[in-house]
Formats: sequence, C-alpha cells, structure tokens
Amino acid sequence: MQLSFGPDVEDFRAELVAFLDEHAPPEALAGYDFADSGAENRGELVPAWSRAWQATLFDHGWMIPGYPRELGGRDATTVQTLVYLEEFARRRIPRSLHFPGYAIVAPSLLEFGNDEQKALVPAAIRGDTIWCIGMSEPNAGSDLAGLQTRAVLDGDHFVVNGQKVWTSYAMVAEKCFVYVRTDPNVPKHKGISLLIVDMDTPGIDIRPLRHLSGAANFAEVFFTDVAVPKANLVGGLNDGWRITQGSLAHERAGLWVEGVSRLEATVQALTDLVRRRGLDQDPGGRRQIAALYEQAASLRALGYKGFASFAQGSSAPEHSYMKMATSELGKAAYELGMQLQGADGATADAERGEENGRWVHMFFMSFANTIAGGSSEIQRNIIAQRVLGLPRA
Amino acid sequence: MDFTLTDEQQLLRDTARNLLAKECPPSLVRAHIENPSVADALWERERDFAALADGPLTDLCLFTAETGYVAAPGRFFATTALFAPLLRALGDDRLEATLVGETSGTVAMAGTDGTWAPNDESLKRFVPELDSVEWVAIVDAGPSVRIVPASGLDTRLLGTADWSRRLFELDSRGVDGERRSVDAEALTAVVAGATVALAAEMVGTARRLFDMALEYAKQRVQFDHPIGSFQAIQHRLADLSLAVERADSAAQYAAMSLDAGAPDRRRVVHVAKAAAGSAATRAAKDSIQVHGGIGYTWEHDLHLFIRRAYGSEAWLGTTTWHHDRLADLLFDA
Repeated sequence: MQLSFGPDVEDFRAELVAFLDEHAPPEALAGYDFADSGAENRGELVPAWSRAWQATLFDHGWMIPGYPRELGGRDATTVQTLVYLEEFARRRIPRSLHFPGYAIVAPSLLEFGNDEQKALVPAAIRGDTIWCIGMSEPNAGSDLAGLQTRAVLDGDHFVVNGQKVWTSYAMVAEKCFVYVRTDPNVPKHKGISLLIVDMDTPGIDIRPLRHLSGAANFAEVFFTDVAVPKANLVGGLNDGWRITQGSLAHERAGLWVEGVSRLEATVQALTDLVRRRGLDQDPGGRRQIAALYEQAASLRALGYKGFASFAQGSSAPEHSYMKMATSELGKAAYELGMQLQGADGATADAERGEENGRWVHMFFMSFANTIAGGSSEIQRNIIAQRVLGLPRA
Repeated sequence: MDFTLTDEQQLLRDTARNLLAKECPPSLVRAHIENPSVADALWERERDFAALADGPLTDLCLFTAETGYVAAPGRFFATTALFAPLLRALGDDRLEATLVGETSGTVAMAGTDGTWAPNDESLKRFVPELDSVEWVAIVDAGPSVRIVPASGLDTRLLGTADWSRRLFELDSRGVDGERRSVDAEALTAVVAGATVALAAEMVGTARRLFDMALEYAKQRVQFDHPIGSFQAIQHRLADLSLAVERADSAAQYAAMSLDAGAPDRRRVVHVAKAAAGSAATRAAKDSIQVHGGIGYTWEHDLHLFIRRAYGSEAWLGTTTWHHDRLADLLFDA
C-alpha cells in the first residue's frame, strides 16, 4: 500500500498540467462549475468554444488518453487515465459538452462496427460530428430491453416507426444511435438491433423537452416511416442488446473521480455558504457539513481502493456503489444548502447575490443523477445480485 | 494511491483470520462474559503479534480488523494500540518486552467525559482491560505520564453493554510513580493511531454483522423464496455493504496517511472513526432486522457483535464527536 503513484504516472500528470495551463480556454475554466452553477444549461447547448476545445484536445492526444494517436489519445495506461480524469475533475474542466459521441458511439463502433462505420469514429471523438443516443422510450426506462420502436426490413433499407424520449442533444445532433425492435416474436433481449440514423432523414420529428429546472437539453424524437439504409445496421441483426452495455471500458475504472470531485466541491461550497451567512458557529450546520465531508472523503478512499479491481474488467459491478453514492449524496448536499438558508432556501432572486437560487436550482437538477444512467434502485439490484450474490426473485 | 496489499500483508491478514477463527469462536466470547480469564489463552496466541505495535499502522490495522470480526476479548488492543505506542513516545525501556509479548499494559487518560486528551482529573474512565495487564500508564495534564503496576489500584469495572471489552474506572489519587513529561504532539499521535486501529477493528465487527445477515438472507425461506431474493432485503443489504466498504477504505486510508505523515492526517482520523461508527451501528441494526425474531434471542450469537459495535462506537469518541472535531478543522483551522 502506498499513498503516491510512480514516476511514470507523475510525469504524465506534469505533462497534462502543463498542457492545461497553456491551452484550456477561459470558458472551460469559468463556464462549467460542477458545484454551484446551472450556466451550462442556460446558453447554447454546444457552444463554439467547447467545440474548438474538444478538437484541440483531440489534436494533442488528450481527448481519450487511453486511445492511440489517430483516435485522439496517447496509449495511456489505466492508472494514467485515472490521473487524467482526476486533473480534469479537480480543475472542473469539461472535455466535451456532448458526451454521446466520444463516450458511447466511438467505443461501440470500434468494438461492433464494420470498417465503414469505424471510419465515423475520429469525428465522433473530435466532436466534429454531434451524436445522440436513442435508447429510452415512454415505456422503456429502467426496463430498457422492453423498447418498442420497430424497424422492419424492406429490401435495402429498414423502415422505422416509434418514439424515443430523454434523447440528449437530439436538437443539435447530426446522427443518432437508435435501438430498435427487429423481432417482436422472441424474448425481448433477443429482438433488438442498433441502427445509425441521420437526423435529417425525412419522417423524424424532434420536440425539445423542458425538464423541471426550466432548461431543455434533451428531446422527444418521433420516427414515422423513417427509411434507414440496411448498411447502417451495427453488429448483427437482433444482436443489439450487448452493444447497449458498451462504453469506454478503460475509462470506466476512473469515472467515479468526477462524481467524488463534484461532491467534494459541493461540500466546500457548503462551508463557504455558511461562512457567508455567518452561520459557521452553528453546531447543527457544522455537524451536518462535517458528516457530508466524511462521506465524500471515505468515498474517495473507496474509489481508489476499488480502482485496482475496477481496472480489471470492463463492467465491474462495484461501479454501482460509486454511482449510487455520489448521486444520492449530491442530492442531499444541495438540499442541505437550501435548508441552511432557512426562509431563503427556495428563494431565487438576483438581489440575494451569490445565493441567487443556485442551491435550489442545483437540487432540482440533481434529481436526474439518481435516475439517469441506471437509477439508484437499479444500482442496488446490481449490487445485491452481482456483488453480494443474492438470488433473483 | 495504491491500496493493494503486499504479499506479506496478505499473509498477515490470512494468518490472523485463521488464527482468530480457531482461537476465538463465539463460544469463547460468551464464556468471557462470566469468566474473563478465558481470554488469557487467546492472549497466549496473540502475543506473537505484539510486534505489530512497532510496525506500520496499516499492518496493525489488518490484525485489529480480524479481532473485531470475532469480537476478541482481552488485552491485545490495549497493549499494542495504546500502551506500546505510548512507551515508544516516552522512549521507555519496557517497550522491548512489550513488543515480544512478554508484558502487557494499558493506558488511563480520559476523564469523566470520556475524551482521550490530557486532563487534571484524578478519576480516569474507560480504561481498557485494567485487571488483566501488568502495567498501566496514567496520563495527566502537562502532559505527563506515570507508569505503575496495574495491580493493587483503586479500580472499578464499568458496566457497559459490551462484555467483550472490559472498561474500568481508576481513581489515581495517591498513586505513586514518577511523572515523566511526554511530547504533546507525540501523545496526540498515539491517540490518533489508536483511534484508527479501533476504526479498523470496528470495520471488522461491521463486516461480521453484515456477513451474518447476508448468509441468513440466502438461507431463510419465507413465502417459498429465500428472503434475500426480495428487494426490500436486497436494497437494505446493498446500502449496508456500501457503508461497510466505505468505512473499510476510510480506515485503511487513515492508516496509510498516518504512516506517511500526510498533510491531511488530522482529518482522516475523524473520517475513519466516524465512517466506522456509522457502518458498525448500521450493521448492528440492519443485521438484526434481516434476522428477524431469531436474532433477538440470547442463544443467537448476533448480540455479541451488536454489543461490540455499540461499545466501540462509544469508545475513543462517538461518530458525532468525531464529526464535531472534523468541523473544527473545516471551519476553524
């Protein structure tokens, strides 16, 4: 056991830090505050500076460090990748403001796509092409495999009919990964296929969906007799389910760093809040903030401890611990920020200065974190069945 | 940041686990309630590991985690986590005999409020295993230390819910013995190390309670299914396992930080004990709830570990106390 990494990792960190100091744009440093701002949802969804920044990262081999040069990386090791994620999280710098392309589409196409489809990958990672993912449907949320959007093969193309929902970036995306039912007469996991769909294909209707905070960064997408070339099928027919499990395997081991860093930043913001409001000698508030600090600090330790085993497999179920804990605690932290403001807890008023509604805003936003990407209840099922070995009902 | 155990550490843990499973079954913990001297035989085996008091704290914690798993009674913790480190801070020549397990000792420091800091009170409380060790180090304000034979003192066994750890009250008025000054910072480090060793021990107790619940949930059939197949049980155990894993990592991180003299070594102690306290008390409550009525019986071993969990929670600072000290560091430092 040791507290620090070896020289190869620390050299890597130094090179990254030097790069960030030289190249990170001011908007990346100021415009995307994990802890206390909803600014990223108020402006343009994918602003020009973020596209330029993502391209810069790609061109310097810092977009996905574990990938080779031609894919925007530098063949970094798993530990180096953890350090990379840690430094970005520490500085609260986003790599990209649209995750589907580099985080989901690219690794999925690299693993399951044919050569033509693999050729789409560099642009997806560099952010030149904006992608969205058509997974969830009104009746397929946690039970994703129950999706009903139909695709029927008709000669050299599929005809797609149905509806997707919670489709992030659908309004700005050029392409979409659409999961469709291609065989309704087999068990649900065995009749799903994956299609690449151009978003300007006739028959696609995109309706932005405002969420409860008021912003709209996702949409409902309706498909009416949409013709998709047969060549756009990814992987085998009816073999789409296993592709849903794909993501950046070598980064998954370190994804917890962002969640923990965000939580730590929120705890720091809570201490600043009570100081600003002159409540820092209030024993109740002090104790509650200290309890959150304890939980965040011990989660960081758990993340590091689990890292070695996470790094072994691409779908280590231990991730469920970190996902569930950071999202639940984040929600609790924002709510505490409201409570500590007493009667001002729900106030959103410019005259309140730094307290201008940001805690209630972030609290409302944080509802998504315990639902999206596998709800806390689904995470508990995974932990119970895959970590603890409890039987399915 | 590398939490991987070395081969030697792996071996230490496995050896401790096998030894304690064999030498400290629940029947011994039970017999100790009526007859504390049954712990003497356990000490005969544990004394071979007394040298852990002089090694890295991470190694001692690997051992105490296993003693917590079996709710081991006796003088090992008092001797290795409190007495020996204090001897080392003093440069006392009894250290050598202590590290080879030839002698044993305990520390009396907390006053009537139970806080382990030097004070002027002559009545010392929550002194562990005072009637089974050879020496007691009495710490007073200054800080100063008197090391005297543990026999023939004015002591009283404190009745506590946990019969596996015997805590005493000591009236130190009129106790002879040279008062030697000890470096305040070194003394703080002794208490910090003992607190982390206790946190590791509590993680062991929490893990035992959790393992018992998990095992029972897989076996117990109701409504024609193992109760562990029901989400109400699954989600409770999933949350509990997170609390235990979190506490385990926090205790290990704290030990590593103390060993390395890391800058955040004051915070990590409070984080570790609070995380361990939360995990152990939660494990106690959740485990009995999963067991249902059978866990409520005297015959079932569960209460031995529930008692240990709450006894440990109250000792060397409760979860709330450690949260408050952590807040002092966050807000006032």
